[in-house]
Amino acid sequence: MLEQILNLGFLTAFLAAAVRLAVPLMYGGIGETIAEKSGILNIGLEGVMLSGAFFSFAGAWYSGNLLVGLLCGMLGGLVVSLLHGFLSITLVQNQSVSGLAINMLMLGVTSFLFKLMSNGQGYQQIETFESIAIPGLSAMPLIGEAFFNCDILTYVLYVIIILTWLFYKKTNLGLSFQAVGEHPQAAESAGIQVKKYRWIAMAWNGILGGIGGAYLVLVQLGVFTENMISGRGYIALATVILGRYTPFGMFGAALLFGAANALQIRLQTIGVSISPFLLAILPYALTLIAMLGSIGKNSEPEALSKPYVKGSR
Amino acid sequence: MHRDNQRTRGVIDVLWILVITIVVGTGLIIACGANPAEAYALFFRGIFGTPAGFAEIFVKACPLVLTGLGCAVAYRTGFFNIGAEGQFYVGAMVSTLVALHCTAVPGAARIILALAAGFLAGGLWALIAAIFKAKFNISEIIVTIMLNYIAINFLGYAVRSFLMDPEGNVPQSAKIDKAVQLGNLIPATRFHAGILIAVVCVFVVWLFLEKTTMGYELKAVGLNKRGSACNGISVMKNIVLSAFLSGGLSAVAGGIEVLAIQKKLLEGISSNCGYTAVLIALVAFNNPIGVLFAAILYAAMQVGASSMQRQLGVPSAIVNILIGVVVILVLSRQLFHFRKDNKKKQSSVKKGGNA
Repeated sequence: MLEQILNLGFLTAFLAAAVRLAVPLMYGGIGETIAEKSGILNIGLEGVMLSGAFFSFAGAWYSGNLLVGLLCGMLGGLVVSLLHGFLSITLVQNQSVSGLAINMLMLGVTSFLFKLMSNGQGYQQIETFESIAIPGLSAMPLIGEAFFNCDILTYVLYVIIILTWLFYKKTNLGLSFQAVGEHPQAAESAGIQVKKYRWIAMAWNGILGGIGGAYLVLVQLGVFTENMISGRGYIALATVILGRYTPFGMFGAALLFGAANALQIRLQTIGVSISPFLLAILPYALTLIAMLGSIGKNSEPEALSKPYVKGSR
Repeated sequence: MHRDNQRTRGVIDVLWILVITIVVGTGLIIACGANPAEAYALFFRGIFGTPAGFAEIFVKACPLVLTGLGCAVAYRTGFFNIGAEGQFYVGAMVSTLVALHCTAVPGAARIILALAAGFLAGGLWALIAAIFKAKFNISEIIVTIMLNYIAINFLGYAVRSFLMDPEGNVPQSAKIDKAVQLGNLIPATRFHAGILIAVVCVFVVWLFLEKTTMGYELKAVGLNKRGSACNGISVMKNIVLSAFLSGGLSAVAGGIEVLAIQKKLLEGISSNCGYTAVLIALVAFNNPIGVLFAAILYAAMQVGASSMQRQLGVPSAIVNILIGVVVILVLSRQLFHFRKDNKKKQSSVKKGGNA
């Protein structure tokens, strides 16, 4: 059994599957990282991704153009995140309640619109983005196939993650975006407009979360189905914590979730009988352990999910 | 005088929310190309048309009442439990285990034992998050979400291994003995004894919160942690207690669903009621009696909408949209108060906070 697992073919296929399964989580996760660093917890990420998935499908279906679909998906995500922003930034309401309400609302809205659109009939698949192999790099053993023979959206994701890291690590503006999540009162008195920054963060949250949902449709499946995000939004929340609110940490955490998922599928195909459900528990348990491990050296933004009113103490 | 003002304001809020919701609902029905009058007629015929349909409201409301109650108790203490879903499944699993295997205990006693064991297990499951919060100050929101997925996946494992029906090869448990099922109380409907348990729970929790010292302390911690601590009320003890109660109540919902409706353990039997419960508790302002009515109202909408779906093809996803709209309207109700006054604004800010 071990020989079956430890050969290059298996590992290559396994890693490729892990990356494929992780990309939607990474898009959601990077968007959520940006939101949470600015102090807004968006549990509605599930709804954001669902909206992205549906509108990307609708856009691509009606226009016949994948890029239009992608744009629609981004817009779909954006609108939902801005709704969350309105409730939590402008109206200073409980962010968890708002997020859960948004999830339920978007589950309803997307299912409803999809029923109207399909009128009871099944849809044919739309075309999906094709993989582009990067010459040279994609020929590397083991990791070449997984990381460098991907679709365009995955490459864009690499760039986004690196840019986000640079932004928070190396720029003053990045520091300001972090300050509004750590200590909004102090940031405000330093002349940073807390609400404006949080709105911008929410906009990115929506656009990136929307792409995360769109990825499932435009790259992986080519169809929309009701409730197709099925918990990926919540998993993306976990990757942010497991990754300690850093872009690369989140990348690693999402890869772990993807790997756990890929492992169950792969092991089943070679007939190893370990319960996939027990394997699926692993990343969640790891997240809890990581949360325990971070006691004392708290990486969570200090003001996360705390309503902020200008001028309050 | 001030109180009177608040009361009228509350009534006006409710009216606004009602009107907007009905307008949205009607708009959605028209969007489907259906006749709203006909659709509403079917909606109400689904609810009041037959005894079975009417009883179905309470069948659907039962798990929501219990999980909603669980959420409400936790939120009163400032413990934001989103784990009702997981606690529901833990309760369902443990109750099934007891109902199937403690054959030494006779019928009715085994039902009580099964539900009590479920209560205990669900309470302990929620305690994990409570200890994370009380001891290490880790946000319970994410912890309870993680615990949900652990419980759901473990259920998937359980119904394929130690709880699987030895005589079948579908992922579900063996059928529970007739003697251990919660029986139907009204013939030709699915109105079962578990519904009475839920109603009793509502009143017990209400009495506990409103009429006992322990309940008072729970609420005090939710209103002001520091103030409570300064007055000798242990914050940690109360968070742990409310989490335990909260998890236990949600777990009983799971146990009842198994013993009364499914009569065996299956995957996906909560139909997401654990997440709906959070919203129900919010709409009811965490008041136990309010939870009862909110849950019944929600269940009635579901029953009516599924009748519309069957007859007119109006997707029952409308209910999800409408409940989302209602919650968002409740959150943004300050928009209905056209005259600005700062006092109100500040108090609503305090309410929005969660620790």
